[in-house]
Amino acid sequence: MRRLGLPLGRLSDEALLAGMATGAPETALAFVRRFQRMVFGIAVAVVDDPQLAEDIAQQTFERAWRHAQVYDSRRGSVKTWLGTITHNLAIDAVRARKATPVSPEDLDALLGIVTRTPEQWALADEAASRIRAAVAGLPRQQARAVVMAGIYGMTARQISEFEGIPLGTAKTRIRTAMGKLRTVLEPERADHD
Amino acid sequence: MTDRDCEWLRAVADELALGVLPGQERAEAIAHLDRCPACRERVEHLTFVGDGLLSLLPGSEPPAGFETRVTDRLGLNRPARRWRPRAGVAVAAAVATALGFGFGGWAVGTAIEGASAPPSRSSQPPGSAHGLLAASLLAPGHRPVGRIFAYTGHPGWVYMSVHLGRDGSGSDSRAGDASEAAGSRDGYPEAGKVGCRLERTDGTSVHLGEFSLDDAGRGYWGAPTRVDPATVSGARLLAADGSVLATARFDAGHNQ
Ligand SMILES: [Zn+2]
Repeated sequence: MRRLGLPLGRLSDEALLAGMATGAPETALAFVRRFQRMVFGIAVAVVDDPQLAEDIAQQTFERAWRHAQVYDSRRGSVKTWLGTITHNLAIDAVRARKATPVSPEDLDALLGIVTRTPEQWALADEAASRIRAAVAGLPRQQARAVVMAGIYGMTARQISEFEGIPLGTAKTRIRTAMGKLRTVLEPERADHD
Repeated sequence: MTDRDCEWLRAVADELALGVLPGQERAEAIAHLDRCPACRERVEHLTFVGDGLLSLLPGSEPPAGFETRVTDRLGLNRPARRWRPRAGVAVAAAVATALGFGFGGWAVGTAIEGASAPPSRSSQPPGSAHGLLAASLLAPGHRPVGRIFAYTGHPGWVYMSVHLGRDGSGSDSRAGDASEAAGSRDGYPEAGKVGCRLERTDGTSVHLGEFSLDDAGRGYWGAPTRVDPATVSGARLLAADGSVLATARFDAGHNQ
């Protein structure tokens, strides 16, 4: 018998989720510990309200706990899966509460956060560094459009109203930006498949 | 589908992938994806970009007490060792508790079959450390086809991920003894059910459950179960016909 002596905290994300799916409470706790910063970070960035963000983060873990069985690793990492759950809940909350999903100041602040490369994050993830550089390299209008849609969940129509531009222009900005980001990430994607 | 449909889909693919396509268009787009693999792939790639955007958001420490509030909400803060399984596995777990041995599915189509587990007390020797056992699942010919984890804490669980590959590739070594049962197909029955059996050092074994592999021979599955680190020796992955697809051996040399 090989006893790895691994504490739960060192289990792979997938194995931890699997343990949670089997109903093991201490595994669920380890899961929450591992991902709470990420989940809360996404929630608070989108809703800009710590209390609402906490509620969304709680709902996220509840949902993950309930749906752990149906997680499908072929469709992305556990992190991505959880991030998507958080994001969807946050967008829903924003749509339910506010007419405008974001204020101009918040948008600028977030764009700054997303495109800057502060060392303190020291993102080991190379894909993240590349997409960050790619977003930073986009013309400002395109970067705004893709962040409004991709992070704040704003529709093309909302973006056109927010920016005071025709609907077609908003759509074009989203498409052009996404096209560029996709090109940047494509080699990475191909490597994984 | 027509080329015009695909052309339209391309025009809205980015908004669809970002989740911001309004209702009616979204419904039409999804209907198209259902029947068009090329567009589906395109949207998948764009979704990957959207996920990348989210990964740029910095983490943030939730308010104090968050962890406790979450575990309260999940109903986890109960007296130690009282395991309340979630609704999804409640029935299986109730049976498991009665047997003193856990079964429960973490994948589609898990079934409980007659188990002959010895009654076991779910107490652990005081001070014994919870550990994680891990081993590679090896197909005949020692080709690695997955991993198995067995957690010896309370409650214990077993989890495995399997990727046999599209052609089954166990086919070479299995051709002789299993070809009859497997019919004319090579290798494992694609998209078929497989079973997991946990083996003990005394030669006994217990059937933990079943799960389905997709048509690429992939699947992952877990079940709550008591894992005694002193007696567990390995595991077997079995085809529906009972033939062995892969085995895993927890290294006996490192027993504590
Ligand atoms: Zn198409």
